[in-house]
Amino acid sequence: MPHFILDGKEIQFIQGQTIIEAAAKVGIDIPHFCWHPSLTVSGNCRVCLVEIEKMPKLAIACSTLASDGMVVNTNSVKALSARNAVMEFLLINHPLDCPICDEAGECKLQDYAFDHSVGESRFVENKVHKEKRVSLGTHVMFDGERCISCSRCIRFCDEIAGVNELTFINRGDKVTIDTFPGKELSNPYSLCVTDICPVGALTSKDFRFKSRVWDMSSTKTICSGCSRGCNVEMWVRNNEILRLTPRYNEEVNSYWMCDEGRLNTFKSVNADIRVNGPHIKRDGTLVKAGWDEVFALATSELKSYNKSEIAVLGSAFATCEENFVLAKFAKSVLGIKNIDFAKHEKPNSGDDILIRDDKSPNSFGAELAGIHPLKDGLNFQNIMRAIDEKKIKALYLVEDDLVSLDEDYKKILSKLELFIVHSSNFNSTTELADIVFPAATYAEKNGTWINFQGRIQKLLPAVMTVEMDRSLDGMAMSRLDKFGTEFDRWGKSKKMNARPIWKIITSLANALGTKYKYQTSEEIFDEMSKTIDLFKGLDYQRVGELGVKLNVTTLAKVKV
Amino acid sequence: MTMEKIVLPDIENLHQLDVYLKNGGYSAAQKAFSLTSDEIIDQVKKSGLRGRGGAAFSAGIKWSFMPKSNDKPKYLCINGDESEPGSFKDRQVFEFNPHQLIEGTIISCFAIGAKVSYVYIRGEYHKWIKLFQKALDDAYANNFVGEGMKQKFGTDFSCDIYIHKGAGAYICGEETSLMNSIEGKRGYPRIKPPFPAQSGLWGNPTTINNVETITNIPPIINKGWEWFASIGEPKHPGTILFGISGHVNKPGVYELPSGTLLTELIFNYAGGVPGNKKVKCVIPGGSSMPPLRGDQIEGIKMDAESLKIAGSAIGTGGVIVMDEDTDLVKVLARIAKFYYHESCGQCTPCREGTGWMLKLLNRIVRGEGSKKDVDLLISVANNIDGNTVCALGEAAAWPVKFMIQRFRDEFDARVKDEIMIPVLNKVHSMRKTANPLSPVQN
Repeated sequence: MPHFILDGKEIQFIQGQTIIEAAAKVGIDIPHFCWHPSLTVSGNCRVCLVEIEKMPKLAIACSTLASDGMVVNTNSVKALSARNAVMEFLLINHPLDCPICDEAGECKLQDYAFDHSVGESRFVENKVHKEKRVSLGTHVMFDGERCISCSRCIRFCDEIAGVNELTFINRGDKVTIDTFPGKELSNPYSLCVTDICPVGALTSKDFRFKSRVWDMSSTKTICSGCSRGCNVEMWVRNNEILRLTPRYNEEVNSYWMCDEGRLNTFKSVNADIRVNGPHIKRDGTLVKAGWDEVFALATSELKSYNKSEIAVLGSAFATCEENFVLAKFAKSVLGIKNIDFAKHEKPNSGDDILIRDDKSPNSFGAELAGIHPLKDGLNFQNIMRAIDEKKIKALYLVEDDLVSLDEDYKKILSKLELFIVHSSNFNSTTELADIVFPAATYAEKNGTWINFQGRIQKLLPAVMTVEMDRSLDGMAMSRLDKFGTEFDRWGKSKKMNARPIWKIITSLANALGTKYKYQTSEEIFDEMSKTIDLFKGLDYQRVGELGVKLNVTTLAKVKV
Repeated sequence: MTMEKIVLPDIENLHQLDVYLKNGGYSAAQKAFSLTSDEIIDQVKKSGLRGRGGAAFSAGIKWSFMPKSNDKPKYLCINGDESEPGSFKDRQVFEFNPHQLIEGTIISCFAIGAKVSYVYIRGEYHKWIKLFQKALDDAYANNFVGEGMKQKFGTDFSCDIYIHKGAGAYICGEETSLMNSIEGKRGYPRIKPPFPAQSGLWGNPTTINNVETITNIPPIINKGWEWFASIGEPKHPGTILFGISGHVNKPGVYELPSGTLLTELIFNYAGGVPGNKKVKCVIPGGSSMPPLRGDQIEGIKMDAESLKIAGSAIGTGGVIVMDEDTDLVKVLARIAKFYYHESCGQCTPCREGTGWMLKLLNRIVRGEGSKKDVDLLISVANNIDGNTVCALGEAAAWPVKFMIQRFRDEFDARVKDEIMIPVLNKVHSMRKTANPLSPVQN
């Protein structure tokens, strides 16, 4: 393999790689603003200027191809002074409003100013002033003064989102970013520009001024918006989710995620209409009850129906583990055959980039975990018909708002004699229920989802429920939560009395006389890996942060 | 010394096709079609013709960079964006000898295998665009260009020439910006490599030559490379169009053999300085080239090599003469304003640095500068020089660096030892670390 020398270190590279790419592959970060591994090279920020032996001028590491035997220095006097100079130039007209800037703490300009500038400015002239608070579109706000004109956002729109929505206007130090006349930054991925903006020029209207970056904890988890399962960081402060940002996974979502997933998936977790504690219907309205009371009621009610009169609906929003335990419970404890789950397909709503038609994150996993009708059992459509015909009198439903799928289901579901629902939020389906178990959301539990590619990915809890032990459940902590105790801010904030499905089913099975011993989601997964062929040899460790693709050839047989 | 004029011969109405034809017009093209493209490139190489657009690079060698394979279309761009202050020679070609440019374009296209050529003309040159369009229309009408040239010249080669009007940006004279501009994109220079010969217009092999360079081609083909190589300085042969302006009695464009003495140009051809004043400063090649001290111009020859030795460059041959009463601080501020205004804003050092230099110079002009500011100017110029995407960085930095270096006394006389200015950006500008890195010598 050919190699070159970078600051005395031998770096191997593949023909065609640039210096910065080859260095990045081995974990060496040559300072850069405009370069982004997924975008074309623009070479305009000049902060990656390096000295290459036998070259008369400094060269930019982002566009210079590595060649065998090349000797590159990033810290020679010449390279260092060029980097210092570029930093000085970038800062002379920058407003330096870090104290009120959302980017502070994750700002490349801030970090590089700390690492690569001399800490002294010789600039005493008036700064150039530009437009601040320009709304570029529904979700993105632009501050022209903070912008360092790296063109990443323009290239993102052109090359990734596939729409020419942003451009530079004006010249020289008056250069700024704008949309074309009468047009907006409105592509479904528009907020990605705020991720790749190296400074605080492009900010999310949704997140602006909500929190200092360092006051939040970030948890590596998965977006629930569709069957893509974009890898995300979930940012939480005081037990409240404040934003999602995409997490790099080349196999799934690269560096990107859609605005819909970023903005509209987590808000139900923070919402005021959360189901907080178990509820029972009394005199037509749902009222709070104790866990034991509800378990006792559910047990006696379920016992009073014939097996053929009961149906269980799993969920494409619940984890594999939860669906697995539910399916097991339905088959071996209730002894029923009518098991299925509802699909959430929105035909033609997907695209060729990330967004999928299937608006649920785990339809693959639900089916694989055993949520499908047994021989002679009814599927979802037939279950609904049987309810309508009053052949099925009791329905056990987890994490699915069926009425949101079809208004007509309201009439059908009200014919039920017993309707037990697990739900995180009150909705038009829970209104019809006799018993509502409070469900922990995807942000409050461990578990796995399988995306449309057949990739199994892990959820991690980022928000705490009443029963959750943060240290045992491996939750990240923010600066405000140094000790993870009742006395820190997180401990004092709003926590839901909610449980994951598997935990509730475990209690219910025990109440019905079958011993379930599950203590953690991981134990269920280990059982699945022993009983489900596709999961053979897998455990949480192996699924890891980036997931594992299941054997595709076997998958083809499983219909999605 | 031969006084032959190659680019702008003294023939009345030469811009008219019939007059051009009477004087041997388009015979070089006819001759060229009997040669192979390699033979033409070889002749141009041997003639020693160097680019007249500023860099003075060998035209023949540039052509030889074009790939021989024909798997992609190839293009020729003729750069007539002439926007450098002090440069006004290409417009003379459009006005007085357009057909020789057209003929040169045809021969060049044939030599490099281009079927299409774009003549990029500065947007402000309305008049000259019209004049050149007229000549081009005549050439098309008489089958010297386009499909008809096959029959006219009895060859299977044909090419088309299009005029592309610039939109008022100096940066579009930079060859890769020029290509972006033709493509309809923002006039931002491209990073090199790839060079235009590898990936130019729409990613295809492209050569960019200056108007004057191409106009030299027909006589070279007609009279042979030996003839051309014998004119002027051997290392930079031929004639050069010198556009002289400023404090001279007869400003204008003079076609003279390379190596003509600068003093000869000023005092003989341009009629000397009004009022017989002393020359204080001369910029020999357009405003971006290092200025020379008036008391040191004796014996300097006007060609690329000689000017290099003298500490400047031939540039576009636009000579700006300034007499002893000129305020050089103001001159430099005006030059800096030009490069500030024309900086495209793509890369950091030029975008930020040109504005900074202008602000410093304006302050010094106002009498609010200190000695430290003069040093700072040089430092800022050094920080731009060599660190930018394109040569506009140098174009902005050189005048500042060299004007101050060569006329330091003028600047020192305009500044105070120390000056208190209200600091508007206090937080940043007054911040000091305990141990700042020692300034690096450039």
